[in-house]
Amino acid sequence: MSDYLSLENVTKRFQSPEGKDVTAVDSANLDIAKGEFVTLLGPSGCGKTTTLRMIAGFEFPTEGRIVLEGKDIAMLPPNKREMAMVFQSYALFPHLSVYENIAYGLRLRKMSGATLDKTVQDAMDVVNLKGMGKRRPAQLSGGQQQRVALARALAIKPKVLLFDEPLSNLDAKLRVSLRVEIRQLQKRLGITSIYVTHDQSEAMSLSDRIVVMSAGKIMQVAEPREIYLHPNNPFVADFIGQANFLDGVANSVNGEMAEVNVQGQVVNVPCQVALKPGPCKLVVRPETIKLGTEGTFAGRVKTVSYMGSTVEYALESMGKIINVVDHDATWQRVFNEEDDVRWTFRADRSYAMS
Amino acid sequence: MLKRRAADPVFIFGFILSVAFVGIAILYPLGKMLSTVVSVEAIPYFERFLLRPTFQLIIARTVILGLVVGACGTLVGFVFAFFQARVAAPGWLKKMAHWMALIPVVSPPFAVAIAVIVLFGRSGMISYKLLNLRPNIYGLSGLTLVMTLSFFPAAYLNLLGLMRALDPSHEEASANLGASKLRTFMRVTLPMLAPGIASSFLLLFVEAIADLGNPITIGGDFDVLASRLFIAITGEYDLIAGAVLSVILLVPGLIVYLVQKYWADRASVVSVTGKPVGQHQPVRDWRVRVPILVFISFCTFLIALIYLTILFGAFTNLIGIDNSLTLKNFDYVLNGVGQDAFSDTTILASLATPIAGFLGMLIAFLVVRGKFVGRGALDFGTMLGLAVPGTIFGIGYLLAFNNPVTIAGITVLPKLTGGRAVFGGALAILLVYVIRSTPAALRSGVGALQQIDPAIEEASTSLGGDAFTTMRRVTLPLIRPAFLSGLIYAFSRSMTTISAVIFLTTPEIKIMTQQIYNETDTSRFGNAFAYVVVLISIVLVAIAILSLVVGTRTGAERERK
Repeated sequence: MSDYLSLENVTKRFQSPEGKDVTAVDSANLDIAKGEFVTLLGPSGCGKTTTLRMIAGFEFPTEGRIVLEGKDIAMLPPNKREMAMVFQSYALFPHLSVYENIAYGLRLRKMSGATLDKTVQDAMDVVNLKGMGKRRPAQLSGGQQQRVALARALAIKPKVLLFDEPLSNLDAKLRVSLRVEIRQLQKRLGITSIYVTHDQSEAMSLSDRIVVMSAGKIMQVAEPREIYLHPNNPFVADFIGQANFLDGVANSVNGEMAEVNVQGQVVNVPCQVALKPGPCKLVVRPETIKLGTEGTFAGRVKTVSYMGSTVEYALESMGKIINVVDHDATWQRVFNEEDDVRWTFRADRSYAMS
Repeated sequence: MLKRRAADPVFIFGFILSVAFVGIAILYPLGKMLSTVVSVEAIPYFERFLLRPTFQLIIARTVILGLVVGACGTLVGFVFAFFQARVAAPGWLKKMAHWMALIPVVSPPFAVAIAVIVLFGRSGMISYKLLNLRPNIYGLSGLTLVMTLSFFPAAYLNLLGLMRALDPSHEEASANLGASKLRTFMRVTLPMLAPGIASSFLLLFVEAIADLGNPITIGGDFDVLASRLFIAITGEYDLIAGAVLSVILLVPGLIVYLVQKYWADRASVVSVTGKPVGQHQPVRDWRVRVPILVFISFCTFLIALIYLTILFGAFTNLIGIDNSLTLKNFDYVLNGVGQDAFSDTTILASLATPIAGFLGMLIAFLVVRGKFVGRGALDFGTMLGLAVPGTIFGIGYLLAFNNPVTIAGITVLPKLTGGRAVFGGALAILLVYVIRSTPAALRSGVGALQQIDPAIEEASTSLGGDAFTTMRRVTLPLIRPAFLSGLIYAFSRSMTTISAVIFLTTPEIKIMTQQIYNETDTSRFGNAFAYVVVLISIVLVAIAILSLVVGTRTGAERERK
């Protein structure tokens, strides 16, 4: 992968109001290829927005380099970076029409006349806003406003397109349809994109690669599938999807497979390469558990949530709560609270980590 | 060593400019005054002012005046605001009451005082000619009437804003729980307005004790600190006495400021979200409406009467004695002796207006968007220009700028005040205009900027705009209404101010308010009234021109259907 944009040991420390040093981003390293769609994902306060704002130039790293096409841009002001940002609050210029909003960056690049008009019209076309040029932002719906913001950013043909939780002010249905549009557009235009979100389904569906962050540190960088199936550590496992952690003992480790003893049951499971024989954690996803009247482990149903297409259970088993999602509720028996059940899980879909 | 970001040159320039302005025009003269007061020569003055019964009486009178005017003005302001926001009344009546309440804002000091003397004085048109009474209007009663009429608009606007921002759901909740309207008003509405009422009272208190124009016109022998201070400077040429009196005058104002900052602000329960939150039910009960309507009618009638008297007086030989119509007063003001004052004042105010407007917006920008240590101090320093009584700046300027300012033998600033000052002292007056007006522009700028999502400015820089472009094409257009109100305030304030400027006028530079005082002092009321009419006209014309040039809208408003 040829590196287009790289973060090298980027660290950002703030002074808290009490005068304490707070490390918002802790020596982050990340290489992004040209045309790639990378998502920064994590809970609020994990440093993802600060990282994005340092790439945009709204914040400046305390240490480290940000390299774009071989040049360190870490200390350049935002207007010298050839990037464009799509904001959570849309940040449209309320006193300018849709047309003038989109033309803003182009005019700053001394574009005018027919070229300007064509570029603006094309940008409006791309985001399905044809004929809305004369309207004011206040006359548009939230979804339309975010389309204008997207068109405004795309129009200047930025080297990197930045998204700061652009869909979180929209309602759920719109969020899904707009994210599909964003992904299609980004693939078609081949524009390098960095997207910040705390919504994992957004991250999973949009990204070439996901960067999971926690407490200022990058926890894992990988493709969505890899992140879900082979999380690096308990945080990632728990943050992406739901995870049950079963305590086990690895009898032997052979590359990417391990033989693990869970409550007397010996299973062959995929594992971290770094796993050593001895005590370990087994990540078991709720949807890989099968409930029934027969099975390896015993448990008791504590809560049942009937969701229509699925049923979610919380079982009391092995002295902890085990979450189960039954995606086959139409055919399976639905259990009640306080029912005694048996359960088993798909070993090839679980993952052992230290 | 770490690479440091090169800060935006526009930002740095703005920062240096603001700090220089606050330092030279506000802090330096204040510091000079304070250092005079803590010097050895000042000790006997403190003895004289604080220990002698005559001066203790003056201090007591000052405080009494502040309390009485604070209470009366807040009450009138409250009734006007309540009428405007809550009482069912025809629209034209509300509009009229609103405009009547705003007239005193653009009128110079003295105007109301002289009109009251003409109407209600010993030989007043109403008191003597109509009712055959010979009241003594000079003193506390006259001062209270005049100051209440002059200062209540501030309380009115303050309380009106709060009443409109109150969420009606609190009152609905109270009614829903079974409380009567009166009980809801006493137990819910009034307590929620308490911080606003308190801050209005304090504001009027400070205005009343700092006011100079009214005590020297209608105060009679009811000596207060401000008039004593005036005599000390203009009669006795005793700058140290003036400085010591200034500091004594500053103490109550300072206490009020601290109380306001640490109590009133914190106790405020009104949250301004900018979102419309439904409608208050207007009060229709006649037991409430009738007294309020009578009161409002009486007050608006009084204000109208006063300003009609001024207008009429400007066109008569000697109002109340020789009521024949004449234009000679205007001839005097526009073509005669007053011509210089007319042009000097207008030119200086026109210069001060854009400077104060831009400085206000610039400092507001630095305070709201800047990330440097000390933005609070910059804000505070600028606000001192308004918070400190004008007389104090007058004396501070005399102390600081009567000689050239030199650092290590090099003249940094030439002599700004007194005889042979640069531009005949015009620069000092200009600076005073600017420091008195910038705080209001700053506050409205801060208010407007806080409403603007910082992401909008970031969007501009992200699209390639530098700080200057962003300011010019995005920020300024969005704060245009705030900018306009800052400019309007600056112009009307500069045209009508007297307290600081009265010490700084020179034979070369004449100021209209100073001329009005001279005419009043020598009982040439016709000339004084003509000045007032001309002055108010200039202010109104300027407001119209400014609104036209700057524009009242940002373009971001939703289209009305």
